Amino acid sequence: MRKTYRIVADIIAIDVVIQAMAMVFAIAGLFKWIDDGATLDKSVIESWEEDPPTWTGSIGHFIHVMNGTYLIPLLGIILLVVSFFVGMEGAVKWAAIIAVSIAVQVAVGLLSGDSPYLGLVHGLNAFVLFAAALMAAKLAKEAKPDLVGASANKP
Amino acid sequence: MKRRSLLIGFLATFVVLAPLAWFWHASLVPSTYSVMDMGYIDTGGAPTQHDGHHGGSTTSVESLVEDPDRVADVVVDLTARRGKIKLASGETVDGYTLNGRSPGPTITARVGQLVEVRATNANVPDGIALHWHGVDVPNAEDGVAGVTQDAIPTGKSHTYRFVVDRVGSYWYHSHQVSHVQVTRGMFGPLIVLPVDGIEQDHDVAAVAHTYRGARTLNGVRGDVPVVAAEGETVRVRAINTDNGPMRVWSDTDYRITAIDGTEVNQPTPIDGKDVTVTAGGRIDLVVTSPARVQIGGATALLIGPEGTPPTTRPPPPTSQVDLLTYGTPTSTGLDASKPDREFTYSVDRKPGFVDGVPGLWWSINGHLFPEVPMFMVSEGDVVVMHIENHSGEVHPMHLHGHHALVLSRDGTSSTGSPWWTDSLDVEAGESYDIAFLADNPGIWMDHCHNLTHAADGLVAHLMYEGVSTPYVVGGDAENSPE
Repeated sequence: MRKTYRIVADIIAIDVVIQAMAMVFAIAGLFKWIDDGATLDKSVIESWEEDPPTWTGSIGHFIHVMNGTYLIPLLGIILLVVSFFVGMEGAVKWAAIIAVSIAVQVAVGLLSGDSPYLGLVHGLNAFVLFAAALMAAKLAKEAKPDLVGASANKP
Repeated sequence: MKRRSLLIGFLATFVVLAPLAWFWHASLVPSTYSVMDMGYIDTGGAPTQHDGHHGGSTTSVESLVEDPDRVADVVVDLTARRGKIKLASGETVDGYTLNGRSPGPTITARVGQLVEVRATNANVPDGIALHWHGVDVPNAEDGVAGVTQDAIPTGKSHTYRFVVDRVGSYWYHSHQVSHVQVTRGMFGPLIVLPVDGIEQDHDVAAVAHTYRGARTLNGVRGDVPVVAAEGETVRVRAINTDNGPMRVWSDTDYRITAIDGTEVNQPTPIDGKDVTVTAGGRIDLVVTSPARVQIGGATALLIGPEGTPPTTRPPPPTSQVDLLTYGTPTSTGLDASKPDREFTYSVDRKPGFVDGVPGLWWSINGHLFPEVPMFMVSEGDVVVMHIENHSGEVHPMHLHGHHALVLSRDGTSSTGSPWWTDSLDVEAGESYDIAFLADNPGIWMDHCHNLTHAADGLVAHLMYEGVSTPYVVGGDAENSPE
């Protein structure tokens, strides 16, 4: 369980890095696409899902949305559930911090289209999530297996 | 101790997962269902007599047709195919064509004529259905798969017959898997002319569409030349077939002569302002040659004598025409001061599951699809609908089968020409009061014409008491109207 906890926390941290990479890839490609003569407006954005434009980097946008909306929240729930069984001090606390951070991240990500300033929160909270995931992984890595087992075996 | 820890772990897991599992399960939509059974009945404050699925004699939408003995005046064959669309600029994109092209052929009729369209599905695997956007057709001809017909399968045909009783600019498009089929090209313009023709010297349809990120007018990227001698007048029919609002402006004065097909009373010249054509909406404007009419940021009509050199894009205006105050008031013929029914159509967003998928979804009156209202009316009712948009994003609201009169926006009454609409741009934070006469029995979609939003559940229906439909969403025909 401790290993599972550590691996899931590590994957969340790696996923946050992938999110940043994918988004910059997407934005860079988008600017090149516009620079090459394309137009971006509401109609293009709204037909995106059914008929995605084929600019270099558009996959980055897709990865960011799918990763952020589905995969990372799923990992957050898995980590929280695992934390209930890991028998390690602080495991539930860090998993809960990660879960709340993910919830905030998804909410501000979805709402930042209406309120651009929320984009600042989205960027900042990514670091909170990244740090929390690293802390959780570190906690699991540094906890001594015998102590975990001993505490769980105490009558 | 270990056992206790495990028990607490399982309890905590249950507390986290059980609500998620319950919401997920409750959101699942059956693979086959009738729209009559969707959501909840909203009678708009009037007592219900009976409805389509709770007993009493009913009229099937199948019987709500045009006079079958009347001979058609305009006959059109449309064949839908899946394949490559060749844009005039030489690019090819995957999509759907009608008679080998996209946009499909222009259907032109004179007011009062009976139009008969035989639609054939050559090879579209999902099936097709054609909807006559803005034309108040009899319900059986509305072309909504799963509501007014079954999707037309590969190799089969379906004939639509309807009288075009209002002059104006309209369009037709698929209403089967519409968020994919329309986006990928299955649509075309439908123009209804006055008996004596139009006043202007030239009549130009400007059908705007985005193919895979390529903005086009009549399938052409960039500037589209229109030959008109200096001083001649040109009627431009801007038709927005996309999912987002489109701004239209000109480097010369222009007048808006029609909104969603209905003539504007005494339109005044406009200078330095643009007008929004909402998704699915149409705006007719008149300019005098030479002129450059900008249809969105990337495409334009270049109107002028033969050989007119290209002009550059005029800067986008910073102010907009307000259709609430444009033109001059005149009699509307609709008294909405004492409506028989009053409905609220409040759009918001809500976290939850729709058909098992988690997300921040569109809600109608606080409910997620399919728990949406069924607005019940009786024939002859005067209906007022209060539309609110709290969702933070614009929604082009489209009511099938009826034209609605805009009464007010954000509580401010209309003071311009009567503004009749079938596709209304409701911006984030705005509210509108609209009114219409329930004079076309049937079951009618009332949805967001950002078709991706509709596919995500921003769909309700208007249902007449005593009308029922034998068609189902899903089923053997695999009907999927959105």
